[in-house]
Amino acid sequence: MRLRTTAVVGALLLLTGCGAADMTKQASPFANAQGAKTVTLSVQSWVGAQANVAVAEYLLEHELGYRVDTVQVDEVPAWDALSQGRVDAILEDWGHPEQEQRYVKDKKTIAHGGDLGVTGHIGWFVPTYFAKQHPDVTDWKNLDKYASQLRTPESGGKGQLLDGSPSYVTNDKALVKNLDLDYQVVFAGSEAAQITQIRQFAKERKPFLTYWYTPQWLFEKVPMTEVKLPPYEEGCDADPEKVACAYPHTPLQKYLNADFARNGGEAAALLKNFKWTTEDQNQVSLMIADQKLTPQEAAKKWVNGHESTWRAWLP
Amino acid sequence: MGAVTSTAAGTPVFSVEGLWKVFGPKADRVPADPELTALAPAELRSRTGCTAAVRDVSFDVRKGEVFVVMGLSGSGKSTLVRCLTRLIEPTSGRIAIDGEDVLGMDRARLRELRRHRASMVFQHFGLLPHRSVLDNVAYGLQIQGVGKSERRARAREVVAKVGLDGMEQRRPGQLSGGQQQRVGLARALAVDPEVLLFDEPFSALDPLIRRDMQEEVVRLHREEGRTMVFITHDLNEALKLGDRIALMRDGRVVQLGTPEEIVGSPADDYVREFVREVPREQVMTVRTAMRAPATAEEAGRGPAVAPDVTVSEAIEAVARTGTPARVVDGGRCLGVVDSDALLGVVAGTHPGAAPKPMSAPGAAPKPLPAVPAQATAAPVQATDKEADAEAGGEAV
Amino acid sequence: MAAVTAPTVRAGLPGLLRHRALAKLALLALAAAVLVPVVGARWASGSWPDALTVDLSEPLGRASEWIIDNRDSHPLFLYFLGHVSNTVVLCVRAVYLVLLAAGWAGVTAAAALVAWRVAGVRAALGTGLAFLACGLLGMWVPTMQTLALMVVAVLASVVLGALLGLAAGLSDRTYRVLRPVLDTMQVLPAFAYLLPVVLVFGIGVPAAVLATVVYAAPPMARLTALGLRGADPGVLEAVASLGATARQRLVTARLPLARGELLLGLNQTIMMALSMAVIASVIGAGGLGDRVYQALASVDVGAALAAGIPIVLLAVVLDRVTGAAGARLGGDGPENSGRSSALLWGGAAVLAVAVAVAARLAGRREWPEAWAVNIAEPVNRAVDWMTAHLYSGVPYLGGTADWAGHFTTWVLDPLRSGLQGLPWWSVLFLVATVAWLIGTWRTALTAVLAMAATGVLGVWEPSLDTLSQVLAAVAVTLVLGFATGVAAARSDRVERLLRPVLDVFQTMPQFVYLIPVVALFGVGRAPAVAAAVVYALPAVVRITAQGLRQVDPAALESARSLGATGAQQLRQVQLPLARPALLLAVNQGVVLVLAVVIIGGLVGGGALGYDVVFGLAQGDLATGLVAGVAIVCLGLVLDRVTQPTERRRVKQGA
Repeated sequence: MRLRTTAVVGALLLLTGCGAADMTKQASPFANAQGAKTVTLSVQSWVGAQANVAVAEYLLEHELGYRVDTVQVDEVPAWDALSQGRVDAILEDWGHPEQEQRYVKDKKTIAHGGDLGVTGHIGWFVPTYFAKQHPDVTDWKNLDKYASQLRTPESGGKGQLLDGSPSYVTNDKALVKNLDLDYQVVFAGSEAAQITQIRQFAKERKPFLTYWYTPQWLFEKVPMTEVKLPPYEEGCDADPEKVACAYPHTPLQKYLNADFARNGGEAAALLKNFKWTTEDQNQVSLMIADQKLTPQEAAKKWVNGHESTWRAWLP
Repeated sequence: MGAVTSTAAGTPVFSVEGLWKVFGPKADRVPADPELTALAPAELRSRTGCTAAVRDVSFDVRKGEVFVVMGLSGSGKSTLVRCLTRLIEPTSGRIAIDGEDVLGMDRARLRELRRHRASMVFQHFGLLPHRSVLDNVAYGLQIQGVGKSERRARAREVVAKVGLDGMEQRRPGQLSGGQQQRVGLARALAVDPEVLLFDEPFSALDPLIRRDMQEEVVRLHREEGRTMVFITHDLNEALKLGDRIALMRDGRVVQLGTPEEIVGSPADDYVREFVREVPREQVMTVRTAMRAPATAEEAGRGPAVAPDVTVSEAIEAVARTGTPARVVDGGRCLGVVDSDALLGVVAGTHPGAAPKPMSAPGAAPKPLPAVPAQATAAPVQATDKEADAEAGGEAV
Repeated sequence: MAAVTAPTVRAGLPGLLRHRALAKLALLALAAAVLVPVVGARWASGSWPDALTVDLSEPLGRASEWIIDNRDSHPLFLYFLGHVSNTVVLCVRAVYLVLLAAGWAGVTAAAALVAWRVAGVRAALGTGLAFLACGLLGMWVPTMQTLALMVVAVLASVVLGALLGLAAGLSDRTYRVLRPVLDTMQVLPAFAYLLPVVLVFGIGVPAAVLATVVYAAPPMARLTALGLRGADPGVLEAVASLGATARQRLVTARLPLARGELLLGLNQTIMMALSMAVIASVIGAGGLGDRVYQALASVDVGAALAAGIPIVLLAVVLDRVTGAAGARLGGDGPENSGRSSALLWGGAAVLAVAVAVAARLAGRREWPEAWAVNIAEPVNRAVDWMTAHLYSGVPYLGGTADWAGHFTTWVLDPLRSGLQGLPWWSVLFLVATVAWLIGTWRTALTAVLAMAATGVLGVWEPSLDTLSQVLAAVAVTLVLGFATGVAAARSDRVERLLRPVLDVFQTMPQFVYLIPVVALFGVGRAPAVAAAVVYALPAVVRITAQGLRQVDPAALESARSLGATGAQQLRQVQLPLARPALLLAVNQGVVLVLAVVIIGGLVGGGALGYDVVFGLAQGDLATGLVAGVAIVCLGLVLDRVTQPTERRRVKQGA
């Protein structure tokens, strides 16, 4: 017994004693299998991000001969994974100043990869059919009037403001409080749940108020109109507790692992050059989410039709 | 206390003296405290929370004999046999094997004892279900570090000896109870121990199979003459197998003697009640039933029977000839038995408490008692005088 | 006889129970009478007083910052955790490369041959078909990734579990220390394990593997200890009587005697590892779980199912094969001589290698894409049809959305506001009362302390919210489960029909049915409850049916001979005699429901589940960890409160 214990301790010491191991520089075990050059991309859970990744993946595989692994990670953890090199790139980031400060500026483990070309915007939306019936609903000041129509069992006596995935940037709780609205924020917990719920509402032509963002393919299926919140001014969202203004318009960014950016060769170059428009992205998203094409098929379709766009990205 | 000691037949295989086993908190104090030792079991438990399973037991097991410990469940007999090889650690007392102190043994020496000198057969067999019959039998040898081919060869011999040829590759689960116990017996025999300890080995078996197994033990004993300590709760089994029987009750030995002594001269009412149903004519010998020949003519006529013939056999002879039978030993007429005397034995009215001579060490196999015994066996708590008498008897 | 027994049971036992229960109640009432005024005077009643909470967000936030800042420099990480992490990656990679090198044909052949050797021809066929199905669904590579991760995680769990079990099996003191820990770990929702490992190892395979090991090792440890301790004392005594040393006793007797438990432990470990491997996709496990998770994001039930089916198949195959191996070892099949067995194994190995090489030479190492079957579309159509027709406006019955609405308004809301409206100390007393009436004062104490801990952590309200969902879901589960269980116990046909359904639902990753549930019940707590019911139902049905079927047939027979009707038999004989099984079903139901109600945070269940998801998503470990600990506490409360004095031996399902 004692002999075995000694052996185990010895093995541990041997294992740990023979040098430092930096687990922040560590690739996925599934990467580069069978001698292929592999790029690992982070996919966020929303479909726009899937569209970016699908097209990049298609080009990397078919034009440059890489093998692409995708990992679905939420935004903040994705930054962490990116800094450790477990993923090589994030293609769509909605702005995480804290992480940027830490990883890009301080630790320099992440490099900025340029604009995606798409501008993102978060806001509150009501379905267009409802906005047409009640045009004044599109101003936040009138929202309380409609609270009773927007009630659900989940929101209790108040109107329901449907929020999405916990990974999304949201000030809605503070907004409802600070604007003194008769609403209850209900978190769908995931974008999938939120979309499903929105489509069910739309099918029944029921009114609803939801946190949503553009670009998003869902607008093609369920036309929605934004509700005007107090206008955004620089710094008005500095204190998350006291926010009482709209969300900003954000040019979406790409980020690359710093090592990958330096040594990633053609793949890194392609990902840095990758830049397309909101319409392009929506086209692919819609194929994925609504026509239920696999991301690969959707990407193939788009690539076949937009050669001029992507030719420019190739190194 | 008067111990039954052996002076004549050399060093006894096991010699037990003043053995106590007490279960419970601070068990040590019980044997040491005369006030506590005097208490009845129930009282002891309520006073101290302790249970005395074995109380001040002393006996010797002589070389080559079958020593039976008999008692009802809870009488402490199984605990007693486990104390012999310290499977259960005794609380106090002395145990010696071939004169060597068992309680003083260190672990290696004790293992040595268990590996080579005393092996045990268990009521519930204790076989390893994942091993074949052969490997179960060879297990004891494996423990000793015997090489695979050798231990298998030896195991094969023993398997044949207990009548299990052809079943070597079966698992215990595929055997009947009797066959499993043969495996248990073979496992114990395979290590060629000096003593075999049996802990109620046949009580879990069907009556017919039990009889087979008992005969198997008798046969083995006759062939090999190995010393055996046999625990049972079955009086008939005890009478059939035992050269000497220690009858236990509440942890004490209430009587120790040959089957004939136990049946013929119960030490107390408990023993008497116990042996009441025993067919006495099959246990008692004519030596007990005979009287001195009344006349010379009587001593010269009638069928001759040996002194160790059972009463039932004598009845047959007497009934056939219609005359009393002569008890003849080496051509000398010791006495006669007539139908009245024989009937007295069957009816239990025969006095049967004649003094002397005492039984000699039972070397011959049962069921026929080797040497007739007439004397009442002394209970363990006998007086010194009686103990001396018994010791003297052994010298005959 | 049964007719005699049953009434005595009913009159005798409850009578006794009532006395003891009354005494306990009186004692508690006394304690309440003394404590409440004190407590009421000191702190406000109503919700948990602020004075008694501890704000952990500050230190936790600092800790997580520290870890992130020091992960690439501190010796603890460089010289220990880094090696652990690298070793995991290395092992997973090695297994993965081997699997890829074997190709689909080689892996399928090897798996089938192993199944054939340990479990027979039928299992082999099933295994082969299952692997082919994974390929047909277009999931070959993810399946191999999951398999690689599983192999490493299960091996590590088994080694760790067996070592712990060995320690606990041989030493009483270790056993006393380990047992409550292991018992507790088994009732905790898988989600609660994710955050701590992410905190240390970051997102990725190492974290996923380690979380899986932590989750899957306890059953192995428990069953190893149980097996070692439960060895037939008669056999051990016999072994000792032959002069075996302690080591010989262990190696030649205790371990072989515990083989049944060891294999059961392996079986449970595999099942738990598989379910965790899916959940761990949230922290970057990759493989099948990730496919399910990604499909979830695009609301693609069909795709989720395509990735879920291989998981179910893997689970069923692994379960059956290890189960059959256990039965075979435990049984008394004729012993193969060592040589012929080795020969067969060798033959199997050669055959597998031959198949792999042949496929490789034929250029068929990767699963041919043309062979893939797309099941996503038909499934999605079916789901669409279902939601379109059931969601609302069904005549007379109302739609599922209406049911969900009513359920939320009439059950969940009152329950939640009721719980949250109770003064905090009365909740504690309630917990104490229930736990003590069912269990011992120890369980009651643990339950109360755990409940209080949620308050101290500052998540009293969300905890009660989660609790209300659990209670509602458990009630629904039990009503449905007992009814179905009784039906299954009374009719062989029903049971035969149910069995595959139960198998599938028990092994299907919970993620797969979250979306259909949302489609049917909308967003909110109702779908979380529905998903929990779906998940917990199979175990409850199974245990109930089993318990009822195992009722002593002699008792039933004598009841029948006295002319009892079917209903009388059920009510007077079967149900009372199956009481332990029913209690176990309740306990299991509660534990499983909690696990899914937490995951319900993904579909609007809110409360603690949302906090954990939020913590994971935002990397906000303060929120996530506090919620995770609160879930642990809630799990403890629920387990202890429903724990009959006799502890279950084996956890069913995952």
